[in-house]
Amino acid sequence: MAYHISVFLENNPGKLEKITTVLAVNNINLRAMSLASSETFGVMKLLVDNPEKAYEVLKKNNIAVSKRQIIAVVVDNVCGSFNKLLITLASNKINIEDCYGFLLSDGKTAAIVLETEDYPNTEKFLSDKGFEVLNSEKIYNY
Amino acid sequence: MFWQKEIETQNKENLRKFQLECINKQIALARNSQFYKDKLANIDKLNSLEEVRKLPFTTKQDLRDSFPYGCLATDLKNVVRMHSSSGTTGNPTVIFHTKDDIANWANISARSMYMAGARNTDIFQNTMGYGLFSGGLGFHYGGERLGMLTIPIGPGNSKRQLWFMQHFKTTVVHILPSYALRLSGTIKELGIDVKKDLNLKIFFIGAEPHSEAMRKKIEELYDVKAFNSYGLSEISGPGIAFECPYQDGLHIWEDYVYPEIVDSKTFEPLPDGQEGELVLTTLQRQAMPLMRYRTKDLTKIISEPCKCGRTHRRIARITARTDDMMIINGVNIFPIQIEKTILSVPEAGKNYIIELFDNNCMDKLRVKIEINNETFKGTLKDLEILQNKLVNELKQELDVTPVVQFVESGSLPVTEGKAKRVIDLRTKK
Ligand SMILES: [Zn+2]
Repeated sequence: MAYHISVFLENNPGKLEKITTVLAVNNINLRAMSLASSETFGVMKLLVDNPEKAYEVLKKNNIAVSKRQIIAVVVDNVCGSFNKLLITLASNKINIEDCYGFLLSDGKTAAIVLETEDYPNTEKFLSDKGFEVLNSEKIYNY
Repeated sequence: MFWQKEIETQNKENLRKFQLECINKQIALARNSQFYKDKLANIDKLNSLEEVRKLPFTTKQDLRDSFPYGCLATDLKNVVRMHSSSGTTGNPTVIFHTKDDIANWANISARSMYMAGARNTDIFQNTMGYGLFSGGLGFHYGGERLGMLTIPIGPGNSKRQLWFMQHFKTTVVHILPSYALRLSGTIKELGIDVKKDLNLKIFFIGAEPHSEAMRKKIEELYDVKAFNSYGLSEISGPGIAFECPYQDGLHIWEDYVYPEIVDSKTFEPLPDGQEGELVLTTLQRQAMPLMRYRTKDLTKIISEPCKCGRTHRRIARITARTDDMMIINGVNIFPIQIEKTILSVPEAGKNYIIELFDNNCMDKLRVKIEINNETFKGTLKDLEILQNKLVNELKQELDVTPVVQFVESGSLPVTEGKAKRVIDLRTKK
């Protein structure tokens, strides 16, 4: 099972920097992120190479943080590939709660990070449909 | 059970007789001061407590105006201590004490703490401010008088507070309610288990009006009994009224002060049971007797007998100070209503500030609440649900729709003394 880290963030200058500083001084590599925000505050999802450690050090710094389960699916870096993934999920009525992507180091493929309600089933469903689902080792380090 | 059984359970008749005698002595003494000399010129000896209403009121402004020695009723050679308000504008209020004043104050403080269950085997950590503020020294002397090992640590430095609690096995703590909440954050941060790692039994909480919900929260966080303490520097300081083990109102020491409740607008005395402003006349003060001092604290007197057997009447938890009332588009709001509501929502953080601002000529109320790290689920959706819940609950309590805003834990300003929770940004005021 893989996780990303979710942190509370105020919409003010310098607030994000505080979090990235904590990660940097603890040698935690930030691979990807996404931000959802309302008027004055938001929630930032951070994909890091060591979520356990990131969780601990952020917590120790009095930052509101939680770990959330994710699935990362490999798609080709071509038009329509992401669309195909979404259609596949929708066809099985799988609701996406959060989603973002990042290019993998080969430059030809991208990883799409998904938060959905029903993990084991979504994972199995996507594998059955022929999608490559990354294991946690690959998500954190690939 | 009792520190001074005879006094604490004295029958009403004797107590009233004693109060009348004391008031007449205080009147005679007060005439020595510049301030009361004229004010009491037409007052004869009182024949009954009914006649107390003939005495003039004294206000904080009166004390300011008579700065520095205008209210002093004794020769300076008898004065051993002063306390003072931290007035930011104009003269501060200055309160003087003789040796007897300090001893009597220590005695009622010890009586209050003993009533709550503190004994001479206890280890007492006093986190209130020492110095001009009367909160620290008042209970320091009371703690020593009771015979507790008294640690004069003063406020702030949470890690050091906890280090002392762990190593000296502190059992009794005197603390501001707002600081108690903040300190519990450090306890969690350091992974201290209050039940296993600490020996806490009793908290005295006071100096800030706080809700029953706040008390419950503190009792739960520290696994202690928390007792509400009432006092004010103008009379002496903490220990003027205090909760007994039944925690149902605060016994006001009627051999130390004579309490009245007056209508907060007409200043007419109100019968027991009705809410209004608490007015106190000192009964034992030697350096600075005060006649009918208007405390600006809103409460009522509970005259029904208490299960503990003490005959001194009780006052209800202070609901607010007349000074604290906010008027938002014509609606009267007290900060304690907001606190009560926030504490009733467990997923919300406990530290907050209230901001008043104007928007299109309308007053607006903004409540900034620190995020609760313990219950943070990690999605914006959950935060928005919580935000809506808080807006609705506050609207129901206040009749005003507030803006609720979440901020990082530990980001709201905290002062070493009382928490300043209301910031008025309105241009007209
Ligand atoms: Zn009682």
